[in-house]
Amino acid sequence: MAVPKLEQLSKSVVQGPSLATGAIPTRDWMDIPTVFKEGNYAYVAKKDKVEYLDSQKGLHFPNAREWSPEDEDWKLPENWKEIIINGLKERLDKFRSLKIFMDCCVRCGACADKCHFFLGTGDPKNMPVMRAELLRSVYRNDFTLAGKILGRMAGAREMTVGVLKEWFMYSYQCTECRRCSVFCPYGIDTAEVTMMLRELLHLVGIGINWILEPVSNSNRTGNHMGLQPHTFKDNVDFLADDIENLTGVKITPSFNRKGAEILFITPSADVFAEPGLYTAMGYLILFEAIGLDYTWSTYASEGGNFGLFTNNETMKKLNAKMYAEAKRLGVKYILGGECGHMWRVLHQYMDTMNGPADFLEQPVSPITGTVFSNAASTKMVHISEFTADLIKHGKLKFDKSRNSHVKATFHDSCNPARAMGLIDEPRYILDHVVDWVEMPENTIREQTFCCGSGTGLNTDEIMELRMRSGLPRANAVKYVHEKHDVNMLSCVCAIDRATLTSLMNYWNPSVGVCGVTELVGNALILEGETRGELDEGLRTML
Amino acid sequence: MIDLAEAFRNYKEKIVDRWVEYTLSTYQSSGFFIKERDIFANPVGGNVREALNKLLPLLIKGAETQEMIPSLEQILKIRSVQEFSPSQAIAPLNAVKHITREIFQADKERQHLVAELYDFEFATDLAVLAAFDIYMQCRERLYLTRILEIKSGTHILTDSKCPSAMLKDDNKKRTIPTVESI
Repeated sequence: MAVPKLEQLSKSVVQGPSLATGAIPTRDWMDIPTVFKEGNYAYVAKKDKVEYLDSQKGLHFPNAREWSPEDEDWKLPENWKEIIINGLKERLDKFRSLKIFMDCCVRCGACADKCHFFLGTGDPKNMPVMRAELLRSVYRNDFTLAGKILGRMAGAREMTVGVLKEWFMYSYQCTECRRCSVFCPYGIDTAEVTMMLRELLHLVGIGINWILEPVSNSNRTGNHMGLQPHTFKDNVDFLADDIENLTGVKITPSFNRKGAEILFITPSADVFAEPGLYTAMGYLILFEAIGLDYTWSTYASEGGNFGLFTNNETMKKLNAKMYAEAKRLGVKYILGGECGHMWRVLHQYMDTMNGPADFLEQPVSPITGTVFSNAASTKMVHISEFTADLIKHGKLKFDKSRNSHVKATFHDSCNPARAMGLIDEPRYILDHVVDWVEMPENTIREQTFCCGSGTGLNTDEIMELRMRSGLPRANAVKYVHEKHDVNMLSCVCAIDRATLTSLMNYWNPSVGVCGVTELVGNALILEGETRGELDEGLRTML
Repeated sequence: MIDLAEAFRNYKEKIVDRWVEYTLSTYQSSGFFIKERDIFANPVGGNVREALNKLLPLLIKGAETQEMIPSLEQILKIRSVQEFSPSQAIAPLNAVKHITREIFQADKERQHLVAELYDFEFATDLAVLAAFDIYMQCRERLYLTRILEIKSGTHILTDSKCPSAMLKDDNKKRTIPTVESI
């Protein structure tokens, strides 16, 4: 009997249609072309959105056109190469960090196996060091003596259309989560390399719609959805109605109220999409319980700042909107909801873009008197810091049994954890409101794994890619689900609430996703409430 | 006379090791996937190793397919969302037949047992068939996840076209491929 040999079996499978996996690479990485096919790239930005953004004051999105990554010809402007090289030069001069990141990597490999995209795909170009090398090779070629003389021997290569295509593929297979930078002995922030790649691509009209459309909406109406003031107000009012039905307490939130002490800003997703809605109900209940003098704004109606995923000018403009509104309303300071990248912009870029916000006051909790000296410059306090402080001072009364239907774990959202050090406050809150357990040590706190769909990659046409990149996170959730019967993944980020929901639907269907403040809202005892037994807390359908 | 059960006891670890290595060699970065043993630092490698370790004894004892499903699912849930064709996703399961034959063949005292592997290989065939079902269930779950996301409201962040636009006649590239064209 002829026995098919193992080698034949492997030969028959590796010669199949797979391009990213299945074959041992026999060529140098520079010689492996990028192939775009339906499902491995996010849809490109619509021409009218790019044109609109380019027409806006302070923003620069040139070369709008109809094009497809699958086409050979990307319809680049004639002088595209000059634009890219000049753009890189300008940024090297402007951002000293970029120049250092380009020069100081010793290719030690500490970051290589820390990226969730690498761990889920096995694609070497998803090693953070390699992703940076995509840009660094061009930098060497045009900006270093060694590269100019030795060329490829010094790891340099000329900027070509092929390189540009590779940039597009891999700068959109990075969620700028910065896990890799935790392990870099030089502290290279590979997320900033991705940011530069994306900025350069925008100069030649290359961007994705799931980022540019929310950006243009935010620029126009103040939030990603393009919700107009009356709709935004209606949505919050609906949530207040739901709370009244569930608890018997009528809450009447105010909007655009001049003279309020605090302006509250959260991602608009909390106001319009599940499961964020329940987190927003949690905010309303919390503020009612302590009698906070605050207002919502229908103009600064978005905490999210997708500008961070495009270029620094757009990030600056969208961040400025929140402060312009705080100034207009005359509030003392801003309280920020459970958002991810809003906090990264605040903590890492705001001061040199729009800050310091001297026209506001240093935040002080009106209930406990605590001075938030950490927010002395930005004048913006995180809802978890604020809540943890209230609990610490015994200002909130909880009935933890109201969360008895929940066995939670906590996902450290990348930006709050790594970009602002918000690690213990949410845990302190959870300790008081719910029964919960930690995921394994190398998947939490500073080492947290990304949801896999941040930085505007939360779009359904790349669902497979998102499931791959989310595998390391989902794998850790699976462990606590199987070991401790965890049925709820809590987090403090609106993108997480959307993306982790899909991630769980695929990998761990019996685990739900919620915001920490939803769990607070469930357990918090409101004065005068007539709350009955709610089997699913604020999610209970009456 | 050495019997089959003894031979499997003797070589179980070697078979699993080679099977795991073969499965992980289908990834470009197979070196890391094989080397790192922490399942949280290396979910692909860790899950493949854990699942194949559980699967081998089931194949040896000729277990019911139902018993094999959790291990098969542990592997295929991952491979069905990676860039493999369906056959590539499943083929490494088949490899255990050839690995076992090669290992027994190389041992003079146990060469004769190759002729007794019919039941083991039949169990592997059943596992491979079950794997096709699981692969399809995973793909269906993926599409369902996509639909649920679109329905959830987060999708209306943009007015991007509905996925059904892929089916339009005037856009041949996005037409569902026929069998011949795959």
